[in-house]
Amino acid sequence: MMKKFDLELAVGLFIVAGIVCLGYLSIKLGKMEIMGERGYEIYGVFSNVGGLKVGASVEIAGVNVGRVKNIGLKDYQANVVLSLPKGLQIQEDAIVSVKTKGLVGEKYIDITPGGSEKIIQPGGRIRETQAAIDLEGLISKFIFGKL
Amino acid sequence: MPLTFPIRTILSLVFILSMAVSSWAAEPMEAIKQTTDKILSIVTNPALKPPSKTAEKDKLIRQAVDERFDWEEMTRRSLATHWAKRTPEERKEFVPLFSDLLERTYMKKVEDYSGEKVLYEGETKEGDYAAVKVKIVTKKDKDIPVEYRLKKEGNNWLIYDVSILGVSLVNNYRTQFNSIISQSSYENLVKRLKEKVELK
Repeated sequence: MMKKFDLELAVGLFIVAGIVCLGYLSIKLGKMEIMGERGYEIYGVFSNVGGLKVGASVEIAGVNVGRVKNIGLKDYQANVVLSLPKGLQIQEDAIVSVKTKGLVGEKYIDITPGGSEKIIQPGGRIRETQAAIDLEGLISKFIFGKL
Repeated sequence: MPLTFPIRTILSLVFILSMAVSSWAAEPMEAIKQTTDKILSIVTNPALKPPSKTAEKDKLIRQAVDERFDWEEMTRRSLATHWAKRTPEERKEFVPLFSDLLERTYMKKVEDYSGEKVLYEGETKEGDYAAVKVKIVTKKDKDIPVEYRLKKEGNNWLIYDVSILGVSLVNNYRTQFNSIISQSSYENLVKRLKEKVELK
């Protein structure tokens, strides 16, 4: 009798643990937030985002620091809202560009930090934006000359 | 009653003066147009065509470019996070070095001008910042979109970034400067820039 009860308890615990894991996974994969946003938002207006998707990552120096929260149209231009963690300061002259992972990979947002002392406040706008283009780096070096 | 007349004159004078002042602060697109026209008139000037006049022509083009570009702002933005770490002396050395490099890089392209058309597409203004969109049409009917970013300094609009085909010049140099500085040192970057300037 005692032995059977232990087995049932173990199975029950196992199933509960399984459900908790499933819940955690679906929140993580679905990029939902249950505790509410802990970061802040800034936005930028692009002439073309080339199919950037909501949830795409925001990177600085290749490090994932946030994600694209919303993409909408504003005067026929793409208005992209970025969600960034609190404490990460973005200078007023930082440049945000839409980039592609690899040659045909997914689109993501890259921020190159600036040197200005002015920091963009939550809800503020990044003025310097660079729209999506293919083979960006190559063209860039071709036009402006490599050092 | 007799006072009204002078007051009116003064008021209208003030009004006219303020109009004159505001129109003197040229609009961003007007500023770009002026500089472009100035450079084109130098490049197409037959009196400056012979090779013996190249030095004089270069000087004139440089003058016109220097009037319109805010080199310090451009350098500050290109060095980005590394700008704050530089001493005033280093900054004083770096700004002319960088502007020299840019001018030398593009001088050749400007002098190769052969009747490309420049179309002014429009401007967007927001406080002290503005963007002017221009399209250069080559002889082969290819469009090259160019976007100038300007900042108001006093009464003047000065360029701090240029995007060609959607690629920002400042961002290009920012990434390159950053990788050179973090891989070696600022001194090495200066050395490389100097070599590049002398080579041209």
